[in-house]
Amino acid sequence: MSHEYVPEIATDRDGKQHEVQGWQDDFYGGKLGFWLFMFTEVLMFGAMFMALSYYNTLHPQEFLDASASLNRLLGGINTVILLISALTMGLGLLKMRTGDVKGAKLMIWVTMLLAVAFLVIKGFEWRAEYHHGVFLMHDKLLADSSFPLGEKLFFGLYFTMTGLHGFHIIIGIGLMLWLLKRINAEKVRPDHHILHWNIALYWDIVHLIWVFVFPYYYMIGAGGATGGH
Amino acid sequence: MSKTYFDETHCAYGHPKSKFMQWMLTIDHKRIGIMYAAVMFFYFFIALGTAFMMRLELLAPGAQFLDGDSFNQAFTLHGVIMIFLFIVPGIPAIFGNIVMPLMIGAKDVSFPKLNWFTFWLYVVGTLVAMASLFTDAGFADTGWTFYAPYSITTGTNVIFTLVAAFILGMASILTGLNFLVTIHRLRAPGMDFWKMPLFVWGIYATAWIQLLATPVVGITLILAVMEKYFGIGIFDPAKGGDPVLFEHLFWIYSHPAVYLMILPAFGIMSEIIPTFSRREIFGYRAIAISSASIAGIGYLVWGHHLYTSGMADTAKVVFSFLTFFVAIPTGIKFYDWIATMYKGKIILSTPMLWALGTIITFTIGGLTGVTIAMIGVDIHLQDTYYTVAHFHYAMLGGVAFLLFAGMHYWFPLVTGKMYNEAHAKIAFYLNFVGFNLLWFPMFIAGYYGMPRRYFDYLPEFQIYHQVSFAGAVLFISGVIYMFVVFYKGWTKGEASGTNPWNATTLEWHLPTSPAPLENHTKVPYVDFNPYEYHHGQPVVKFDYKTMQRID
Amino acid sequence: MDTNNIDYKKEQSRFFKVLIGLLLLTAVTFIQPHLFLTEANFAAQMFIAVLKAWLIIMYYMHLKGETLITWMAGFSLFIVFTFFAIVIGVDVQHFQFKDESHITESAIPLHEAGHESHSTHSAH
Repeated sequence: MSHEYVPEIATDRDGKQHEVQGWQDDFYGGKLGFWLFMFTEVLMFGAMFMALSYYNTLHPQEFLDASASLNRLLGGINTVILLISALTMGLGLLKMRTGDVKGAKLMIWVTMLLAVAFLVIKGFEWRAEYHHGVFLMHDKLLADSSFPLGEKLFFGLYFTMTGLHGFHIIIGIGLMLWLLKRINAEKVRPDHHILHWNIALYWDIVHLIWVFVFPYYYMIGAGGATGGH
Repeated sequence: MSKTYFDETHCAYGHPKSKFMQWMLTIDHKRIGIMYAAVMFFYFFIALGTAFMMRLELLAPGAQFLDGDSFNQAFTLHGVIMIFLFIVPGIPAIFGNIVMPLMIGAKDVSFPKLNWFTFWLYVVGTLVAMASLFTDAGFADTGWTFYAPYSITTGTNVIFTLVAAFILGMASILTGLNFLVTIHRLRAPGMDFWKMPLFVWGIYATAWIQLLATPVVGITLILAVMEKYFGIGIFDPAKGGDPVLFEHLFWIYSHPAVYLMILPAFGIMSEIIPTFSRREIFGYRAIAISSASIAGIGYLVWGHHLYTSGMADTAKVVFSFLTFFVAIPTGIKFYDWIATMYKGKIILSTPMLWALGTIITFTIGGLTGVTIAMIGVDIHLQDTYYTVAHFHYAMLGGVAFLLFAGMHYWFPLVTGKMYNEAHAKIAFYLNFVGFNLLWFPMFIAGYYGMPRRYFDYLPEFQIYHQVSFAGAVLFISGVIYMFVVFYKGWTKGEASGTNPWNATTLEWHLPTSPAPLENHTKVPYVDFNPYEYHHGQPVVKFDYKTMQRID
Repeated sequence: MDTNNIDYKKEQSRFFKVLIGLLLLTAVTFIQPHLFLTEANFAAQMFIAVLKAWLIIMYYMHLKGETLITWMAGFSLFIVFTFFAIVIGVDVQHFQFKDESHITESAIPLHEAGHESHSTHSAH
């Protein structure tokens, strides 16, 4: 902003003056817009969860079996990693708002590191599954394999959803790099931090999606493959 | 004061000198709206040509110049363009952009740069959609609905169309998001929700549908791509998938999408009727709330597309019941419009003619919709010409007619000129007669069992197809004639002045016509209702220098 | 901007409190299938997830006190739940073609033409 934006004044019939909200410098508008964007994410993953529970209803036992075969330890570690990264992201924003730009940048770096760790662990998980013959267009998931249908559907959606979630994490890392660049260019400052705010929100929604992905995939078959059946 | 944020060219990047680049990079909502209109009507005429080709093929039974496969591609092309490129973005992208910020007294939409980006995203989407026309595999032949499993197994180039639909969906979401924030944040001081013009209400309800329904179809298309290229089983029964799930997910978006098309159209109607009846609109709140409730109920009725697809019987009953409900708020709107005209000073200008014509055509389209919302009747009429006629009466006779009405209504606002009213009226009558001649016989043909999407038919249906063809010729001439009238008006028309219709809403209180950059000279304080008339004259008057009321 | 009038120490301690809550809930996630509610494993897991989500939304995403956005979020969630209720609760729950359709089979028979029965182990 090379020029300072000065809001306009509207005058009513009694001569009273009302400040006009312009599209420039509208913190609340920016926040509202990003929340609306997050609703689209909710609807998108909501639709995928619907597909998941659709087939869960048709193949209840096979879903439990498939879920039981996932690696709960790695999934759990990833859950905790994301949990802590949400904290560091939040603290970074807090530091930015209270004027500690350096601390904020540090926190963003930590978050990014945790995000990379998440992806690496995810990679190991997928690798292990590949070696068990469970991977997209591979061995047991091929159309003519005798792998139970319900498990095929489960793993098809598992790779799609965790893949899409991973994609969101990658985008998140990109966004954080961009944010750092903007902070360095002083486009994001303690008194103008809408971008930081929204990227923190983005990171929370990515975490939020995982909060539901994790139990639906990893935990429903835990505690013995029958899970109560 | 506020003109200092960007320079006077109002571009997303830089300060281009050339007029052309200024348009390409513009963030001005009015220019973006005009560019949307240009792109959309370009594609509209392609789809119109395709439709005419199909009518020509159907003039006689048997194959004339299109074989079955090309015919499949032709109706897919027609459907994809008309739905995804033209009518879904249609009114929100054109008039939502041009008029909505003017109506609420804003300087622009909330995120002007995003608006610019959205427009180009839309253009990219259209190009991707069209690209498959020039590939070896050819354009998709699935119909615009891409029903699985056929869309997954067909050899034609469905992927381009799916990706394009996804990109266009994203553009649609971003438009909706932008409008929602705009309407919430940028209304002029004093204008609460109950003082907004009804077109803004229509856009608001539409924006919610754009925002919350479109992601569902987006992810559905992604799942279809995953299935086609990564072999996961989701919709293909050969891999354990259920095609009914695809239809669920697809219509969860695509049914609200028809309300997404019609709601802003109803908004245009609600602007035109009071203006040309010179009367305050009857039941303002009822119309506003019915817009919102159509949007709400519209989310819950998608299943009436699945009556014959193998959905559970319980679900059919629920959906049939819910579908009838949509007719209620729609009916409320129509009665309100008619009540507005009662004892008004009706002026039969061209926009009013189009609006009145739409009352007839949309009523036919709407009521025939109620008949096929009944499960038993629908089993008989599903996928016949009856259904085709029904949705063309609703979409073409409702949405497109009102879009044309809006074009006639806001033409002076956008161009500052006036078209020749006499010629415009001739164009309307050509369109109206041609339209009814084109589609009405299809109700009868469909009732007797003429299936849709066939390139061939039994000889006894020929008479209906011939009448339809005559209607198509009339209708297309009418459309072309209308655009000639517009073109002549734009190049040679007389200056219209800022408020040629004696309308009351804020977009007619601009200092110049066409509207200047940054719109109103000053933001007015709104302490009046949108349609205040007294003895046939607008009540509210402004001093256009200070934008203060002088009545 | 009004959002900057915050007490860093207070906010920070709130963040950590929420973190502890989330970690505890995660621990419960792991213990629950072995200890309690094993008959309703799925419902229990989803309930814990909702609790976690609520903590995140309210405190990490600062939804607390945002009336307008809360309403909008409620509306969006309501729509999603309605989709679930109809598609899962009304439609698939009443799936009518279990006897005729092979998509509910455990595996698709390899040579469909030659198979006389719908037995679930036919493809093994």
